[in-house]
Amino acid sequence: MSKFLKKSIWVFHLNTGSCNACDIEILDVLTPYFDAERFGVKLVASPRHADALLMTGPVTLEALPKVINAIEATPRPRILIAMGSCSVGGGIWHDTYSTIGGVRELLKILKEREIEVDHVYYIPGCPIRPEAIIYAIGLIKGLVEKKISSKVKKAVRRTSG
Amino acid sequence: MGKLGFIKILVIAGEAGRVTRRYPFKPETLVSEDFRGRIEFDETKCIGCGACVNACPPNALELVDKGDGTLLLKYFIGRCIFCWRCIDVCPTGAITGTRDFELATNDVSDLYEVVVHERAECSECGGKYSTIRQKEYVVEAVPITESYIDKCPDCRKNKLLRALERRRGGVYE
Amino acid sequence: MDISPILKNYKKIVESIGKSSFTHVGDTIYIIVEPNKLRELAEILYWKMNCYHRTCVGVDERPLNGHFALYHIFGDDTNGLHIVVKVYIDPEDPVVPSITDIVPAADWCELEAYDLLGIKFSGRKLYRLVLPPTWPHGVYPLRKETPYNYRPSVKIISGEEIGESHDKAVVPVGPYHPALHEPEYFELYVEGERVVDVKYRGFHVHRGIEKLGESRTTYQQVNFLAERICGICGFEHSVCYALAVEKAAKIDVPERAQYIRSIVLEIERIHSHLLWIGVAAHVLGYDTGFMHIWRIRELVMYIAEKLTGSRKTYGINLIGGVRKDINEEKKKEVIEKLEIVEKDLKKLIDTMVSVPELKKRLTGTGILPKSEARKLSVVGPTARGSGLDRDIRRDLPYAAYSEISFKVPVYSEGDNLARFLVRVEEVFESISIVKQLLDQLPRGDIMAESIEIPERKMGVAAVEAPRGEDVHFIITGRGKPYRWKVRAPTYNNIPALKVMLRDQALADAPLTIASIDPCFSCTDRIVVIKDGRRYKLIPNKGGVVLYG
Repeated sequence: MSKFLKKSIWVFHLNTGSCNACDIEILDVLTPYFDAERFGVKLVASPRHADALLMTGPVTLEALPKVINAIEATPRPRILIAMGSCSVGGGIWHDTYSTIGGVRELLKILKEREIEVDHVYYIPGCPIRPEAIIYAIGLIKGLVEKKISSKVKKAVRRTSG
Repeated sequence: MGKLGFIKILVIAGEAGRVTRRYPFKPETLVSEDFRGRIEFDETKCIGCGACVNACPPNALELVDKGDGTLLLKYFIGRCIFCWRCIDVCPTGAITGTRDFELATNDVSDLYEVVVHERAECSECGGKYSTIRQKEYVVEAVPITESYIDKCPDCRKNKLLRALERRRGGVYE
Repeated sequence: MDISPILKNYKKIVESIGKSSFTHVGDTIYIIVEPNKLRELAEILYWKMNCYHRTCVGVDERPLNGHFALYHIFGDDTNGLHIVVKVYIDPEDPVVPSITDIVPAADWCELEAYDLLGIKFSGRKLYRLVLPPTWPHGVYPLRKETPYNYRPSVKIISGEEIGESHDKAVVPVGPYHPALHEPEYFELYVEGERVVDVKYRGFHVHRGIEKLGESRTTYQQVNFLAERICGICGFEHSVCYALAVEKAAKIDVPERAQYIRSIVLEIERIHSHLLWIGVAAHVLGYDTGFMHIWRIRELVMYIAEKLTGSRKTYGINLIGGVRKDINEEKKKEVIEKLEIVEKDLKKLIDTMVSVPELKKRLTGTGILPKSEARKLSVVGPTARGSGLDRDIRRDLPYAAYSEISFKVPVYSEGDNLARFLVRVEEVFESISIVKQLLDQLPRGDIMAESIEIPERKMGVAAVEAPRGEDVHFIITGRGKPYRWKVRAPTYNNIPALKVMLRDQALADAPLTIASIDPCFSCTDRIVVIKDGRRYKLIPNKGGVVLYG
C-alpha cells in the first residue's frame, strides 16, 4: 500500500445508480455510532481533493461519462472503492440494458481510455453495513488483516463407481 | 421554554454519553444474531443439483460446465444480495448462512467460492450428464432408480421408446 | 350483482360516454374506452369525480391481442377505489390522444411510454426522457421483441452538452455534488437572489428494473428486485408488488403475515422520517440535531435488522407471506427499544423546534398551495402539508391497517414547516402503530399454503410509503409478470418543486428541494424529465442534501 494512503483518506462519493441503501450507510458511518472521522476519513466536495472514490451502484449508461470525468479528475495515486454488490459485480442488474454491470466493466473501459487507477478495493454487501465500511477503511490503512480468500472445494463422492 | 431552550441539547448529549463502537479495535459491533451475511457451502453435502442457482435473484450462483467432466458451482460474493433464498431451497442443507460481513478485499478473485463436481458418465453412450453426487443422492432416496440411473436422460428416453415400440409393434409416425 | 351507489354512478358515467365497457373486481374498476373518448372520460374522472391520477402504463400487448395498450390509473381515495382506464392502440401507428392539458399529473408517464414503448401522444410536445442520449433511436426496451440484456455499444461523450443560453443567471445543482447523495441535476434560474424557474433532469439511476421484472426473474425473485428500487422504502415496493400479484391471483395471505408486513412497513417509515429530519437539520446548518437524530435512528436500524435480518429491511417478503417470524422475545425487545426512541426523540424534537433559526427558516418557505397540490396529484407528506387529506393506509387499507387506529396529520400551510411537522407527527404515530400491531399479533402461519398465479390477470395495489403512495400495476404472465409497472411517490412530487421554488430566496432552495424527501432511485427506475436546453455542472454554494 502506498505510503501516501496511510494517513487520512479523503473520499469523494460517487453514486452511479445505486438504490441509496449503500449511500445512506456511507452517511451513517459518519454519525456517532461509527464515526469514521476517527480514521481521518472525510467526505470532500470535489474529486480534485479526494484520495479515494467511493463508488456505489452498477454504473448506468447515463452516469458513465460523468463517472469517467470524476475518476480522471482525482489526483494520483487514486483509489477506487467499489461498495456494495451492484458496484462490485453488477448486483441484481448485472445484465440489464441500461447498466454496464459494475466496476469490472468500468475498469475495462478505463483501460481502453488509458486512465489508470492505482488501487481498487471491493466491499461486497447488499447493502454494506457500516461495520463493513469501517473494516474496509481498516484494511486500506493496514489496521486489520484480510479475511476472505477464494476457495475451491471438491465435492466428495461416496461411492467409487 | 424560554429563549435559551436550545441549550437543552447539552443535557441530551450528556445523557447519551459515548455511543461510538470501538470496532475494528474491539469486537464491538451492532451485528445481531438475525443478520444475514455470507453463505458457506458444505462440499460433503452439495450434490450440484442447481436448485440454488434457479432461486438466486441476482445470479450470484452459477453452474458452469467446464467440458472436461467437471461441473462447477460458482458463488460470487461480489454479486450476492444476501437474501439466503438458496438456503431455503437447498434439498440437502449444504448451504449455511454466516454472520460474516468482513468481506472487503483488494483482489476480486478472493470473492469466488467454487464447488467442483464430477459429472456422471452414461453407461450406454458415454455422454456426461448430471453429477455423480446427484446420482448417489437419488439412489439413496429412491433405491429403485438404481437400475436405470447410470444412463443419461436421452438414453433413458430412447430406451423407453424402444420398449414401447416392442409392445405396440411399431411407433406410429 | 349487488352494486353500491358510487359504483352505479361510475357505471352511469361510463355508459354516457358510449362505446365502452365497465367491469368491477374488488376495489378496482376496469373501463375500456375508444381512444377518441379518452379525454372526455379523463376530464370527468379527474375534475368532476375528484379522482387523483396515479399513473399511466403503456403495455406491449401485441403477442396477446395484436395491439398496444395504454392504461390510465385513477384513484378515488374518498371511496377507496382504483379506476383503470384502458385504450387499445393501433400497432402500426401507435398514436393516442394526450391528456396532460386536462391532467397535468400525467405528463411524465406519457413521456415514459413514448420513450420505452414508442407510443406517440397527439396534442403535446414529445421528447426523450428516460433513456441516455447515446441510446439508438427506434429501439424500445419495453417492447417484447427487445431482449432485456440488449446493450448498445457504449459511446462516451466527453464534456457536457450545452444548448442555447437563457437570459437569467443559472445555478446548477448536481449531478455529482458532495451533498447530493444521488446523481440528479437541478437547474435553478435566478434573478438576484430569487429563483424564477427551475428545471429538473434525472435518469442517472435508470436501471431497467421493469424490463428485468418481466424477463429474467421469476415471480418470487421480483420481490427482491422490487426491494432494490429504493434503499429506503424498499419494503414498501416489495409489499406493493406482492399485494398487486396477490390481488391478481386471489391469494389469501395469512393474517399474521399481514401484521408482520405492517410492522416492518412502519419501522421503515420511522427510520425514513428520522433520516429526513436529520438531513433537514443538516441542510439548515444545525448539525448537532443531525448527529443526535441519527444516533436515535441507529436503534431503529437495529430493530429492523432484528425483524428482517438486514438493516435495510431487505429480503423477508414473498408473494403469499413473509419469511421471518416474530417471537415473544423479539416482540419485547422491539417495544422496549421503541420506547427509548420515543422518549429520546420527544426531548430532542422539543429542543430542535426551540432553535429560533431553525423555525424561522422553515416557516413560510417553499409554499405549495392546495390548489396546485391538487392539480399535480402530489402525494404523501407533501400533500398532507398542503391540506390534502389523503393517506392510502386509511383510504384503501391494505395489510393489517384496517385493524388498528391512527391519526393522519394534516396541515394546511403548505410550507416547509408544515411538511416538517407532518413527518414528526407521523413518526410518533408509527411508533404507536407498531406497538398496537405487536400487541394484537395473531397466531398462525406466515406463508400461504398454495400459490398459484393464473395468466393474464390484472392487479393494482397502492401502499403508503414514507414519501407518499407507491403504485404497482401488474399483468400476470407465465412464471413471471407480463408487465410490471412501478410508480414511486417522488414521481408525482417533483413537478411540485417548480411551484415551491418559484419566487423563493436561493438560500432556501436546498431545503425546499429536500422538503419533498425526493427519492430519485425510485423515480428513475424509469423516468426523468429533461428540458433539452442546457446542461452544465458547477457545484452550488448552498449545499443541497438530497438522498433517497
